[in-house]
Amino acid sequence: MQADPVAGGEHRLAVQFVGSGSEYFRIWIVNLLLTLVTLGLYYPFAKVRRLRYFHGATELGGHPMSFHADPRKMLRGYLLVGLLFLAYSGAGHFSPVAGLVAFVIIALVWPALWHSSLRFRLANTGWRGMRLQFKGTRGDAYRALAPGFVAALVAVGAGLLGPAPMAEGQPGAKPLELTVLNWVALLVPMLMVFAVPALLWLMRRYQQNHLALGAEQARFDVPLRRFYAVALRALGLLLVFGFLVGIVAAVATGGLAALGDGVTLTKVLLGLASVLTVLLIAQVIVTPYVVTRLQNLVWNGTRSRHLRFESTLRVRQMMGLSLRNWLLIIVTLGLYLPFATVATARLRLQAVSVACGVDPDTLFGSAERGDESAAGDAAGDLAGLDIGL
Amino acid sequence: MALHFDGRSARASPVRLAVEGGCLVAQPLADDGSAAATPLRWPLAQVQWPERTRHGQRLLHLADGAQLQLADAAAFDRWRAQHGPREGWVVQAQQRWRSTLVALVLLLAVAAAGYRWGVPAAARGVVALMPQSVDAAVGTHALEGVRAQWLRPSQLPAARQGDLRSAFAAAVAQAWPAGGAPAYRLHFHAATADLGPNALALPGGDIVVTDALVDLLQGHDDTLLGVMAHELGHVEYRHGMRALAQFALLNTATGVALGDFSSMLAVLPAWMAQMGYSRDAERQADWVAVRVLRASGRDPAAMVLLFERLARRPGAGTGPPMALASHPADDERVRYFRDPGAGLR
Repeated sequence: MQADPVAGGEHRLAVQFVGSGSEYFRIWIVNLLLTLVTLGLYYPFAKVRRLRYFHGATELGGHPMSFHADPRKMLRGYLLVGLLFLAYSGAGHFSPVAGLVAFVIIALVWPALWHSSLRFRLANTGWRGMRLQFKGTRGDAYRALAPGFVAALVAVGAGLLGPAPMAEGQPGAKPLELTVLNWVALLVPMLMVFAVPALLWLMRRYQQNHLALGAEQARFDVPLRRFYAVALRALGLLLVFGFLVGIVAAVATGGLAALGDGVTLTKVLLGLASVLTVLLIAQVIVTPYVVTRLQNLVWNGTRSRHLRFESTLRVRQMMGLSLRNWLLIIVTLGLYLPFATVATARLRLQAVSVACGVDPDTLFGSAERGDESAAGDAAGDLAGLDIGL
Repeated sequence: MALHFDGRSARASPVRLAVEGGCLVAQPLADDGSAAATPLRWPLAQVQWPERTRHGQRLLHLADGAQLQLADAAAFDRWRAQHGPREGWVVQAQQRWRSTLVALVLLLAVAAAGYRWGVPAAARGVVALMPQSVDAAVGTHALEGVRAQWLRPSQLPAARQGDLRSAFAAAVAQAWPAGGAPAYRLHFHAATADLGPNALALPGGDIVVTDALVDLLQGHDDTLLGVMAHELGHVEYRHGMRALAQFALLNTATGVALGDFSSMLAVLPAWMAQMGYSRDAERQADWVAVRVLRASGRDPAAMVLLFERLARRPGAGTGPPMALASHPADDERVRYFRDPGAGLR
């Protein structure tokens, strides 16, 4: 095996992503077909196959990562979480109160599922024969998620239990009378928007602080204000580009007014095009910005006694790639999707390197083999949580 | 040549692999390539073999937590073809473009069949299992929302409302002579301008007709009754609940297929598919309108007037393109009401 470059007593381990879009395309198509014809039962198998491919294609210091999860165990977890999810979405249809009760139950169960999801994922991820570990406790998971759930609960509860702002059948002439509960229902979501960076930070801190590889235990020291700085700049970008699009739309509308009355096909198409443009701008400018800044922030702020991460992802590169990906996805009606996934993974992963203060050969794993619940992994999937880069 | 990791430390030791007597054998090697220690053995049943890929290295997972890593994938694949187990058919299918193409065609066929028959049938099944009380609960909730947002008390004289109600009740009774007509409640309402001349049906049987629609069809009660019968069709087939079930199913399907790249991207096809179902539902409701009009001795062609009047309003014109529209094109519907034939299109 080649020796890792050493500088100043540090071994630098580069990340190399060797996966290819065309190969993932073939895996993706077969996965999709089997998932569809088995009415979703194949999904965990497809997911394991996908993760094995992406882990195996990620080489850190010349050695591939590995993924070990047993899809049969995951299937049980998915069925369990699927039932929970069905019960939750069904309850909302029957009555608001049943929906609220279901929400409370989910809120109570979710942090535990999140915790076991993280444990499951890391315990099944390996490198050089050693498994990673997640050492966070269930209690910490509850503490990390509690502020968000309390706020959501207050908002949802007030919205459901407060009387409707407008009395039924009354003409609109009557001014709105808002009760205290209505105000709470209105204000809490607004306050929650400002709290999002803090909630995100709490979650990230919980995730990063408890990563472990053998005796190496990660520490996360990114101050909360750095998260707010990213959020503010993202908001600024959104406003600037939203404003530009607004001007263009206004000019276009002015031009259209000259075209005459009536909803014409041109107008509808133009309206549709401007909506898509706004969505595309969000995807091509704001999302890459946030993703890039957060990746660098989180991984540059994560270190253990002998290991240090370095992430040098560039916003401009991510934006360029996003633009290319989206255009090609639209042109190919979605067939480019697996290529886009691979290209994004390559850019993001190869921006990361690990500095190891000791010879990596001397790192020791731990003998314990976690046999963690796969239900948690399924829960993480449904909620869109991912611990990856 | 492989690297053996014992699963406890990151240290790699070079080994040579062989298969002997139902066991995978790894012979540790010294620096000069000679055998260094006693060989390690694992029963073949406890070896998890890697899947062949075009890029990257090969990893064998062993039951004791150890791992064998092979940098020369091509050499390993040749060796494995002789000594290892056969590859699964899924792995083989993933290797070749021809089988991928077959999978792609099958995928499109299955998706099309699922869209055409699978999802509607599943939604019908789900709705059939749901008690009517669910429709009523959803409908009541929706009606409150619609009322607060768009509806004001009707300005129609009570006598006119009463006439329309009894005419519609009589037509419904003629269309279902043996009874069993879907239960409905008819509401007349003034509406905000953006709703305009309109009628809507909510799950559970609430049918709302706006004053503007009654005014638009002044003197043509046949047409108005046809519109109400169309809405009754939505109630009869529980289109509202079906749409909810269909959208949930579609969203899950597209989420699984596309969600790992962008969840936003997943909603768009689900929404377009939903619009397709909505057009089918409109056609079904048009058929109910035809049935009720005929049963009560009226001419279904009376409905043509609705489209003429709607088209003549200022601001009317070409709607959104077909793939994005919730209703079939007006021309198609006019043709249908002129000559409905014996059944559903």
